[in-house]
Amino acid sequence: MIIIACVDDRNGMMFNNRRQSRDSVVCEDILLECRGKKLYMSPYSGKLFGEAEGADIRISEDILNEAGKGDACFVEETETAGFEEYIGKVILYKWNRRYPADRQFSLDLSDGSWELKRTEEFQGSSHEKVTKEVYERIR
Amino acid sequence: MKPKHKKNSWKQWLLILCCLFLTACTPGGISADRQGGGSRETQTISLADIPEYSGEPYIVLNGNEPDFPKSEWNLQSFEQYGELDSLGRCSTAYANVGTDLMPTEKRGSIGQVKPTGWQTVKYDIVDGKYLYNRCHLIGYQLSGENANDKNLITGTRYMNVEGMLPFENMVADYVKETGNHVLYRVTPVFREDNLLADGVQMEAFSVEDEGEGIAYNVYVYNVQPGIQIDYATGESSLDASGTSKAETSEGDIRGNSRSKIYHCPGQAAYEEMADSKYLVIFETEQEAQEAGYRKAKR
Repeated sequence: MIIIACVDDRNGMMFNNRRQSRDSVVCEDILLECRGKKLYMSPYSGKLFGEAEGADIRISEDILNEAGKGDACFVEETETAGFEEYIGKVILYKWNRRYPADRQFSLDLSDGSWELKRTEEFQGSSHEKVTKEVYERIR
Repeated sequence: MKPKHKKNSWKQWLLILCCLFLTACTPGGISADRQGGGSRETQTISLADIPEYSGEPYIVLNGNEPDFPKSEWNLQSFEQYGELDSLGRCSTAYANVGTDLMPTEKRGSIGQVKPTGWQTVKYDIVDGKYLYNRCHLIGYQLSGENANDKNLITGTRYMNVEGMLPFENMVADYVKETGNHVLYRVTPVFREDNLLADGVQMEAFSVEDEGEGIAYNVYVYNVQPGIQIDYATGESSLDASGTSKAETSEGDIRGNSRSKIYHCPGQAAYEEMADSKYLVIFETEQEAQEAGYRKAKR
C-alpha cells in the first residue's frame, strides 16, 4: 500500500478537523503519481479532488482496510497507526510552511525502516515551494 | 482605497460600552476592546477562562468556534481597525480577507511605530535575539497594512512566530488557493492598565464554504519561554528557568522521535525515555521545538 500525505514543517496535517492547506498543483501531481492505480481517500478528501478525469478514485470511510497491495491511499484525517506493516511506500508533500496542527503524520520515517528514494521541488499554485519526498520500506 | 465597513449601530455601541464597563468592573477582568470588531454582542474572554501558559503557544477557545454572526457572512472584502484607547493601546482589528485585500507590493518599514510597552531588548536565548517584535494584528500577508499604529502591538518573538504566524499562514494560503473570503478578527487582551497585552484572541471563518475550510478561535500567549516579563511596562529579565535552560547540559531534554514530544527533567515520562529506542537528545527546549517537537503536557 502506498500512503500519500501533505505535511507542514512540523509534520502537521490537520487543525480543528480541517486540512492545514491545499494546492491544486499538488492534487494534479498526486493523480499523476497514481495513474493506473486505485487511489483511495475519505469522503472529506474526495471533495478536494472532485471529478478527476481518468483517475480511479475510490471514496471510503475505511480506506486503509479496503486498499490492497499496490493501491494508494491519500490520508488527511485518517490515522495510519496500526497499519504500518502494510505500507510499502510513502509519498510526502511538504508545504514548507508552518500551520497550526492538532493531528500529525504519525508514521516515523526515521526509524531505519525507510529509505528516501526521491526528492523533487516544484512551485504550487499558492505555495512558493512544495517538496515531494518518496520513501520506500527497506525492512 | 480598500472598502471599509461601518457596521456599528448606536445599539451596538451601547452594548460594547456596557460590556467594557462590566469588564472593567470585574476583578481579574481583562481589557479586550471590541470596537471595530463588527457586530459582536457581549462575548468577552475572561482571565478566569485562560489557564497559565504551559508550554503550548496557544489554547483553543469555545471549542474552536469563532463568533461571527451569519449577518456578517458576506463577500465584500474590508478591513477595519479599532481606535487606540486612552493609554494608546490597540483594540480589535477585523477584516474580511479576500484576494483583493492582499498585498501586491513588498512589505514596507514599520520601525517608526512604537506600540505600547515597546522595549528594544535582546537575549541570546531568543530566536533572532530581539525579545519583542512589532506584531501585526492582521498580518501583512493578509491585508498589506504596513505602519498602521492601530494594527501593531508589542509581542514577543515567540508569540509572533510560534503563535500567530501559523494561523495567519493557514488563512493566507486558503484565500490564495480558493479565492474565497475569510472573516478574520484579532483582539489584543490587556490586563487592567498594562501596556503589554497578555495575549491575543484570533478568530477566523471561511465565508463561501461556511467554515468548512477555515474555522478557529484561539488565544495566543504573549510570552517568551525563559524570559520574565512585566506586563505593566514591557520590561523583562531572564527568569530562573531561562538561566537554567541557557546552562542546560547536553542530554537534558529527551525527545521521542515517534511521537515528536519532548520531556524535561521532572516530567512524568522523562525517566522512561532514557531507554526508549525513539530517544533523541536536545540541548534546549528551543532546539527541540525547532525540530518540530512539542513539550509533554505532564
